[in-house]
Amino acid sequence: MKKILNIASFVLLGIYFATVLTEAQAISWYRIQEMFYFKSFHMYGLLGSAIATGALSLWIIKKFNVKSLHHNPIEVKDKPFEWKANFGGGIIFGLGWGLTGACSAPLFISLGINWKIGGLLLIGAFIGTYIYGLLKDKLPH
Amino acid sequence: MKNEPLAWYIAGPLIGLIVPLLLILKEKQFGISSSYRFLISGLTKKPGYFNYNREHDAWQFYFVIGLILTGVFYGLNGYDMNELKTIQTTHGGFGGGDVMHYVSTSGFYDLSNWAIFLVGGVLIGFGSRYSNGCTAGHCIMGMSQFSKTSFLATIGFFIGGLIATYFIIPCLF
Repeated sequence: MKKILNIASFVLLGIYFATVLTEAQAISWYRIQEMFYFKSFHMYGLLGSAIATGALSLWIIKKFNVKSLHHNPIEVKDKPFEWKANFGGGIIFGLGWGLTGACSAPLFISLGINWKIGGLLLIGAFIGTYIYGLLKDKLPH
Repeated sequence: MKNEPLAWYIAGPLIGLIVPLLLILKEKQFGISSSYRFLISGLTKKPGYFNYNREHDAWQFYFVIGLILTGVFYGLNGYDMNELKTIQTTHGGFGGGDVMHYVSTSGFYDLSNWAIFLVGGVLIGFGSRYSNGCTAGHCIMGMSQFSKTSFLATIGFFIGGLIATYFIIPCLF
């Protein structure tokens, strides 16, 4: 029962996140194109205010030593700094984002809306992940 | 079907709230693209990248189920991924004549573009794993932490996106 509740809570958070993204049209290739052509403030406002909210929340958590629901201290870890990987991988990811208008969350949402298009994206993402697994030790990090 | 999005100043903070919600309720740092690794490691343990303590990432898979279910809900209610195709014209036609003509007829979300979806997917999967995060983990979570790792990755995302938008897409249509 505890396990089911745990899974359900993540599913619900996913539904929350996906609903906001879809209502904000952030899953649309057209909005992403509009953003990269600097024709609208929408996506910049969206990302900027999301980051501001996240940063303010982290500040409050730290400042007031907010505990988790299970009374544990909240730890926020930094990802390792590997500039070649972060930057190089970032550019490659960005190419995919610009081409398809999808990043990871919209990719899965698209899969639900249109399984053929979303399926192609997901198969691609699996192939890409697998290629990374194959090449990981040979790539500069 | 409406064409106006939920305003950014409402939607943006709601998106950002996922950061404290996950930390406080579930003690997790927001991210999505580790789910690719999790899913593949369920199929194969080779190469060694997929032989890892995958239980740590299981939650992202549950989160992704929520994303897919939401998509199914919108799909069943007649959501049209091409509904925004007119925004190109309202902005005076970004992408130039051919792209605009193409998009205004079939729309971008068309199976004739299967190769774009597939190749784009490969770039998304490879790039997010190589850079150790995607728009969720780097742009939203990492930037909220003022992490230089994520700052660098986010600059990379935009450079890649701009190259795709200005140099690749105009050659595809």
